[in-house]
Amino acid sequence: MTDSTPPVSDIDLFDDAVTVDPWPTYAALRELAPVVYLPANDTYVLTRYEGIRNALLDWETFSSVNAIGFNPMVNEALTGTSLASDPPVHTQLRATLTENLSPRALRGLKATIDTKADALVEQLVNKGSFEAMDALARALPLEVVADLIGFTGDARDNMLRWGQAAMQVIGPMNQRTAENFPIAGELYGWCSNVTAEDLQPGSVGRGIFDAEARGDIPPHTAGHIIHQYLGAGVDSTIASIGNIIALFAAHPDQLALVREDPSLVPAAFNEVLRYWPPLHVWGRRATKDVEVEGLRIPAEAHVGILFGAGNHDPRHYDDPEAFLVERNPVDHLAFGYGPHGCAGQGLARLEAHAVIDALARRVERLVVGPEVRIPTNITRSIEQLPVLEVVPA
Amino acid sequence: MRIVLDRERCEGHGLCEEAAPDLMHLDDDGELVLDREEVSDDDPAAAARANGAVRVCPVAALRIA
Ligand code: HEM
Ligand code: SF4
Repeated sequence: MTDSTPPVSDIDLFDDAVTVDPWPTYAALRELAPVVYLPANDTYVLTRYEGIRNALLDWETFSSVNAIGFNPMVNEALTGTSLASDPPVHTQLRATLTENLSPRALRGLKATIDTKADALVEQLVNKGSFEAMDALARALPLEVVADLIGFTGDARDNMLRWGQAAMQVIGPMNQRTAENFPIAGELYGWCSNVTAEDLQPGSVGRGIFDAEARGDIPPHTAGHIIHQYLGAGVDSTIASIGNIIALFAAHPDQLALVREDPSLVPAAFNEVLRYWPPLHVWGRRATKDVEVEGLRIPAEAHVGILFGAGNHDPRHYDDPEAFLVERNPVDHLAFGYGPHGCAGQGLARLEAHAVIDALARRVERLVVGPEVRIPTNITRSIEQLPVLEVVPA
Repeated sequence: MRIVLDRERCEGHGLCEEAAPDLMHLDDDGELVLDREEVSDDDPAAAARANGAVRVCPVAALRIA
């Protein structure tokens, strides 16, 4: 009989050094085994592409209930959201959530987002040097999501803090999580009290309240939907746009390819997401004893999905450490997959494609200084990215 | 082989259409239409596109039967 107990590793996924540079850790875990038990996080991590993709599809075995986060308080707080539900409840919640996020619903936004992104990039190219996270990576999603939800005044200023906190608290009960719970609580409080009149007429946010008033969606769901847009949609998108800028600065030859052939814009974003997925790790719970590639995960165990480890698995992608826009890795794991596959990916694509397109038209090369990263629990984002010089197109 | 769409799951992301434009398209309302459900095994290029469409759907709304 072969031993089906997964190997154990003393790695702590939320150790400061690991969160800032997880790549050696991902590689070590992936080469150790497809499933590794981490006592420090009390989680069985899935480390290889196939195991991750299959688990994301198999919600009956890998449940999202009481499972997404790495501390009991956040799992309790997420109860009843689409993120933390399984079908059939999830199917219904997701339908209301995606109604306003489907590519069809977003069609009208494309021109506005393209114009915003292009104006921002034009202004920065003229400036010549700037801090790219604030000036572009944060500026665009904050404006787009604020307009989408119909934010005015106060809430707009808070979006960044709230979005960051909502992701931090998914981590284990470390200092970062403890410090961010009160901020995530502010977001929750605001969403519980917001009314239609607080939101700009004609905005998607206002539309969700109108749907609630008409009885198209159950009472009190409008605030929850807005909560999810803010919690799930801000920090991750910011990270992905920062990554676009940094990766194109580091790989001018790849920017040149997109400049020559703008039809590569979607492929380039897929490769950015594969190369540096914005989310570090995400949870599930095994509903029964299950074997992944011959290694046993016991019923009720917490399971950790390592998006970045899967996206760099050489069993699935040739030469995974190379950043190649022509690779077009359409099946990357950064948006998850299957029933919970990112509900906001259409919006994220609109924003990112607009940025890549504007950069490719207006910039030949970006000269950047060293990027600053700080430890964070879940979102892997650059904190500061100094652009020292723009060589315009 | 036959392409099967789970209409409940489909959210109109349209990535399948990019992979297999001859087999499916989004209509003006953003609903996916399967233009060809049956793909002959004698047409390996079309079969590969069908498999590609299944693979790329981010919410697993397509499968091959
Ligand atoms: C590049 C940016 C983004 C990344 C990398 C990302 C990543 C993800 C991932 C990995 C999941 C799956 C979670 C799971 O399997 O449990 C997810 C779900 C979700 N995302 Fe995104 N996301 C992004 C942008 C957005 C935006 C812009 C929005 C909304 C405005 C959004 C809203 C959601 C929602 C509501 C869910 C839950 C879906 C469900 O439970 O069915 N995301 N996202
Ligand atoms: S990719 Fe999937 S969700 Fe998108 S249109 Fe095709 S079947 Fe529907």
